Amino acid sequence: MFEILKTVFSNFRYSQLAIVIFVSMLIGLLYLSEFLFFDPFIAGHIPVGTEFGFSLIVILSGLSGLVLPMNVYRINILKNSKGKIGGSVFGSFIGAAAGACSCGPIGFAIISTFGSVGATSMAFLTNYEIPIRLAAIGLLALTYYTTVKSLKIECKLKPQ
Amino acid sequence: MNKKVIIFGIIVAIVGIGILGSYSFSPNETVNLDMGRTHGDVSTAMGSPILGDPSAPITIVEFGDYQCHACYNWFHTHKPVIYENYIATGKANLIFIDLAFLGRDSPIAAQASYCAEDQGMYWEYHDLLYNSQESQIDNGWANSERLKAFAFNLGLEMTLFESCLDSDKYSKRVQYNVSEAKKHGARATPTFIIVGPDNQQEQFQGGQPYTTFKQIMDNMI
Repeated sequence: MFEILKTVFSNFRYSQLAIVIFVSMLIGLLYLSEFLFFDPFIAGHIPVGTEFGFSLIVILSGLSGLVLPMNVYRINILKNSKGKIGGSVFGSFIGAAAGACSCGPIGFAIISTFGSVGATSMAFLTNYEIPIRLAAIGLLALTYYTTVKSLKIECKLKPQ
Repeated sequence: MNKKVIIFGIIVAIVGIGILGSYSFSPNETVNLDMGRTHGDVSTAMGSPILGDPSAPITIVEFGDYQCHACYNWFHTHKPVIYENYIATGKANLIFIDLAFLGRDSPIAAQASYCAEDQGMYWEYHDLLYNSQESQIDNGWANSERLKAFAFNLGLEMTLFESCLDSDKYSKRVQYNVSEAKKHGARATPTFIIVGPDNQQEQFQGGQPYTTFKQIMDNMI
């Protein structure tokens, strides 16, 4: 497993991509979930009782940063398995959507535009934020596992 | 002659009982609103009563929703420190204005808070709502029955409270507050406008930490 990681991330482009994905997802999700503020000053806090949600955001961002570049690698280097990137993008998207707290500006815009339908969908995302994030993490972990497994086989078949 | 006196006495007695009865049972739902109350360029007339010293140099205007988790977190984590250091010391006061948009129970909860105000218990009821908030929006924790139960727990006079809540007495007041919040660009809950002694204003959104409030308010004083 570490050999596969080493193979992918020894290429500077992929390690750079991983850092960009991780940092941008982390900052974006922390901002959406009101752990991080930019206006009027840069400030951050973890309110009591939200530590678990915070940890899930870090894990989700980390897994997205790991899995997405690995799948880009598959497509670019091995010219194979475009299908698997769908799982990683979907997992990252679902996890991010769960973080779009309905109290925030995105929720407000959706509820203002779509009325009760928007309110119902935002309430769903807020009410099931933790299970949705856990499901997204599960999906990313599964994608990671299958990616590593198939990269092992494909790298043996097509040594670089 | 005696008959006439008796009939007149009976009529007077009935009218008297009627007047007394109506005085005893009619809901005492008058509200003394200062319609001209503004802080900075925010009309706070329909908002909450002022928490703290009304003549404090700084006013914190909070636009919030009783079902909002970020408001809950701010209420429990940062508001107590702000209260202790700024509101209790007379440096600032706070006004809550409803931006009740999250779910169908949000406007009802806001209306209930004003029904509690009728009995002089606005802030006690406000605090009880934020202490009772549950993690799911519109799961029934803030439905009409629960709001009445909260009022009962606070020892409010239930006939008055129920008639107030059931009659939608404060529906327009809450709508006005929501429109006032939108007018000032509030696009999330909580949103804060801090109004300083010279009417200078700082607006920001999110349940931001105490340090943000301290930095802004210390610059204003």
